[in-house]
Amino acid sequence: MIPNPLLLTIIIPLLSGILIFCVPKKLEGARSGLLVLANLAGLILAIILFKQSFTYTLPGIAPGLELSFRLYQFSAFMLLATSLFGVLIALYSVVFMQGKKLVSQFYAYFLFSIALTNGAFLADNLLVLLFFWEGLLVLLFGMIAIGNKDAFKTATKAFIIVGVTDLCMMLGIALTGHLAGTLVISKISLTLSPLANLAFILLMIGAISKAGAMPFHSWIPDAAIDSPLPFMSLIPAALEKLLGIYFLARISLDLFRLTVNSGLSTLLMIVGGATIILAVMMALIQKDYKRLLSYHAISQAGYMILGIGTAVPIGIIGGLFHMINHALYKSCLFLTSGAVEKQAGTTNLEKLGGLARKMPITFICFVVTACAISGVWPFNGFFSKELVYDGALERGWIFYFVAVAGSFFTAASFLKLGHAAFIGKISSENGKVKEAHISMLIPMIAIALICTFFGVFNQWPLNNLIQPILGAERLEGHNFSGFPTNTMLVIITFVVLILAILNHLYGLKKKGSGLHALDHIRYFPVVSNIYDLAEKGFFDPYNWGLGLVNVISRISFGVDKGINWVYDSLSPKLAYGFSSGIRKLHTGNYSVYLAWAIVGMLVIFGLLLR
Amino acid sequence: MCASLILIPFISVLILNLPIKGMKRLAFGLAALLFLLQMVAVLIPDAAFWKINHSFCAGIFNFELGADILSKVVLFCIGMVSLVTLFSALTFVKDSDEKFNFINILLIAVCGMNAVAMAKDIFSLYVFLEVVAVSSFILIAFNRDMPGLEGAFKYIVLSGVATVLMIAGIALLVLIAGSTNFSLIHYMLIAQNKSLIVSLAIGLFIVALFIKSGLMPFHGWLPDVYTSAPAPASVLLAGIITKVAGVYALIRIVVSMLGFSASIQSILLFVGAVSVILGALAALTQSDFKRMLSYSSISQVGYIILGLGSGSVLGIAGAAFHIFNHASFKSLLFINSAAVESRLGSRDIDKMGGLAKQMPLTSLTSVIGSLSCAGIPPLAGFWSKLMIIIALWLVGFKGYAVIAVLGSILTLAYFLTLQRKVFFGKPSDEFKDIKEAGFSLMFPAIALAVLIVAAGLLAPWLLKGFILGFVPIIGG
Repeated sequence: MIPNPLLLTIIIPLLSGILIFCVPKKLEGARSGLLVLANLAGLILAIILFKQSFTYTLPGIAPGLELSFRLYQFSAFMLLATSLFGVLIALYSVVFMQGKKLVSQFYAYFLFSIALTNGAFLADNLLVLLFFWEGLLVLLFGMIAIGNKDAFKTATKAFIIVGVTDLCMMLGIALTGHLAGTLVISKISLTLSPLANLAFILLMIGAISKAGAMPFHSWIPDAAIDSPLPFMSLIPAALEKLLGIYFLARISLDLFRLTVNSGLSTLLMIVGGATIILAVMMALIQKDYKRLLSYHAISQAGYMILGIGTAVPIGIIGGLFHMINHALYKSCLFLTSGAVEKQAGTTNLEKLGGLARKMPITFICFVVTACAISGVWPFNGFFSKELVYDGALERGWIFYFVAVAGSFFTAASFLKLGHAAFIGKISSENGKVKEAHISMLIPMIAIALICTFFGVFNQWPLNNLIQPILGAERLEGHNFSGFPTNTMLVIITFVVLILAILNHLYGLKKKGSGLHALDHIRYFPVVSNIYDLAEKGFFDPYNWGLGLVNVISRISFGVDKGINWVYDSLSPKLAYGFSSGIRKLHTGNYSVYLAWAIVGMLVIFGLLLR
Repeated sequence: MCASLILIPFISVLILNLPIKGMKRLAFGLAALLFLLQMVAVLIPDAAFWKINHSFCAGIFNFELGADILSKVVLFCIGMVSLVTLFSALTFVKDSDEKFNFINILLIAVCGMNAVAMAKDIFSLYVFLEVVAVSSFILIAFNRDMPGLEGAFKYIVLSGVATVLMIAGIALLVLIAGSTNFSLIHYMLIAQNKSLIVSLAIGLFIVALFIKSGLMPFHGWLPDVYTSAPAPASVLLAGIITKVAGVYALIRIVVSMLGFSASIQSILLFVGAVSVILGALAALTQSDFKRMLSYSSISQVGYIILGLGSGSVLGIAGAAFHIFNHASFKSLLFINSAAVESRLGSRDIDKMGGLAKQMPLTSLTSVIGSLSCAGIPPLAGFWSKLMIIIALWLVGFKGYAVIAVLGSILTLAYFLTLQRKVFFGKPSDEFKDIKEAGFSLMFPAIALAVLIVAAGLLAPWLLKGFILGFVPIIGG
């Protein structure tokens, strides 16, 4: 019996993951082969399934709970994207993880993550979705924890943050189920009411936390340093963005019908805008390749949330297009950082420089994807950002301004990064650096090519992948593919990019080094104080949470101590006090005993005669 | 039929004392056999034994006897505790003449207790209570040492007070009712309906039995007497004598003669609750092994009286079951204390410690006894306490039910203290060479422990029939 193909997308990686645990340590080749093959099988399956649509319900395990899966336009697309990233990053990991510890754990978690992500995409029941979603939380912990020696602390941080937001989501699911009377996603369509708003916000917290938006972001930069690099490229950069934005899109498009005038739409845009600008400001001042990228991973999520939050077709299409674009270029950027780490032994920008000549292919991939993320024509990021800008402008100039400002800082920080890592003087330590292994280059090249393709021929992804998600009815006859129609916005974008370059040149002239080209912003009055505080973790909501928990636990400890005192000290003392009192009354004096008896007797007579 | 339970021990005493050579050596075996037979006879309700027609006795004894389920429970306990006492006497009474005397007195006490358990009129009840009392005076003073004599004297004094009150009560009742028969008096009391004399008579009777049961605040004699009596005597006293002479007689008088009224119930419940709590509190800080057990007895008797006070079938069945349980676990614990005393020569628990290593069986059995007493499932004590508490709750005495539960916690507290001090904790160097107690103390201990566990495990299947057995008693 062959299981349903939808189940296969979950079962194949799951079983392969378990199998990897069973492969002996010595057979590293077999392990790596299994990883790549399993992902390849997933990709083939996803290609076969693409453009199909059907639902499948697992025979009921619990009565009243439909374990249903649904393949349709959106989930098939996400499935395809997941398996594509799976294959490419698996190929990369095989080389990158060579000689590292706990490789089989990493590989197995890798495959489990793919399995659970597929499950979450396919789930057509909120409880089923929650099951896979929570499973990813555990894997997130596991994958970070097998990193370097500080990784455990970071893993705990990630686990707590994501766990708390998942709890919100769980409550949201319960509330949604209560309001809708069903947990089957395709049957739910709620109109907004105060209670439904609450449900939406709770679900939204779960979704944007997965996507890594502020204020649930603070574990990502730490994880960038501590966890194994392919993890960063796979999970926070690709899968979690896909999953979070997918779910956000589902709740705002299907479960609830987000309208233009609703407060929730504004809320989403505020979250998106704040995430864009705050995270990119933090990215500006980073001195580590991976950490800088991780702040961009947060910032870019802001564009997607902003886009979906606009609730106008152009914005939503922009947000969803940006989701897949970002997943592409950000995972590629992380892969370049991994290549640099593998070859040069560090990602600290102060120790890097001039790698362009030593690692030309990596450099080219970096340039392509950096242009893409900065929104340079003709790469994919340009087109999706223009759509988001257009949507944001429709809702208010302030959102547009924030988005454009974010673009400026993004470009500025990538100029700095590229300059510091690849151009400039080569440091003596890096004299013998070579180009990365071919198997690491292939994924990078592939992704860079896709980025270019999605830009130059943006009609294809937009018409085949993105616009069908919204459907012809909601598009209202628009087609957003091709070169942006709003020429004014395009001109502004170009001006902003040129300004970013000028800014870089100004900084370069002032400080004389690419790394410090943005120091004039870093040490700008007032801003510098804020930066100082931010670097100390003062703005990290996790630290606030920890502080709060500390206070609560102190109070609980006090209460507990009080209760303990009642049990351990007061009650025994009372009991022993009484006891010794009674003991002292028993003097052995017989007349006293007789007197008690007589008093007792008189009382009894009194009672009887009453 | 019932008369044989009185006649046989009595005749045995007579035969044993015939001036025939070798009779003295038969005494132990004969007594053991009698006690065993008594237990077996109770357990087989349809035995031919119960159907023997004793019309010939009518000429000798001019009183009625009858055994309902309550009596049978007590009769079983009498057989059981007496057997245990007999065994423990082997260790503590060395001299063969003394042993023979002990067995004789024990038989007379059993004879008296059996009669009390089956009496159906107040005067014979009184007479046999005195038989029991006198034999217990002798048993307490059996060693003729200072503490024993003092204890016996204390018992005589308060028992004497009780006797006076009781005979006065009987006189008043006979005056009113013109009869000594329980059921006749019962009907007369209903007809009389609360006159001053009736109340006085009831009061006198109840107080007398409170003293005999050792309930607070009439308990003054009890700890001193239990503590100063020789080990076998305290097993018998704590296990059965006060239960028969006090508690059983009280239940019988209330159930069969006085009937339940609001004032009687409130007196019973109040005295019971006071005994439960104060007895347990007093036990908490005792340092003498037997004295702690004595206060524990007061507390446990409180439970029985609480069950009686509920006035319901379930409560009285629980009380009867608790009599059995108390007889089993308290005899067991006194046997344990005797075992420890026989090896250590001391009863001061503050100086003991770590005896579980040297006396594993004593330790194990005492843990079982203690836990049963504290009402820990699935031991037998749990079920009887549960029945009593549920009965109190159902009848509406919820406050007393709560007190009963709290009392259980205190019980656990002092027994844990006891176990910790005696059997666990740091072994003391002084008692390094201690050995397990001898067979005559171990056999009854193990047998009782097995009985407690078995009764607890079988209780769920047996309780329904047991409780239903009480319906005719209360209904009548």
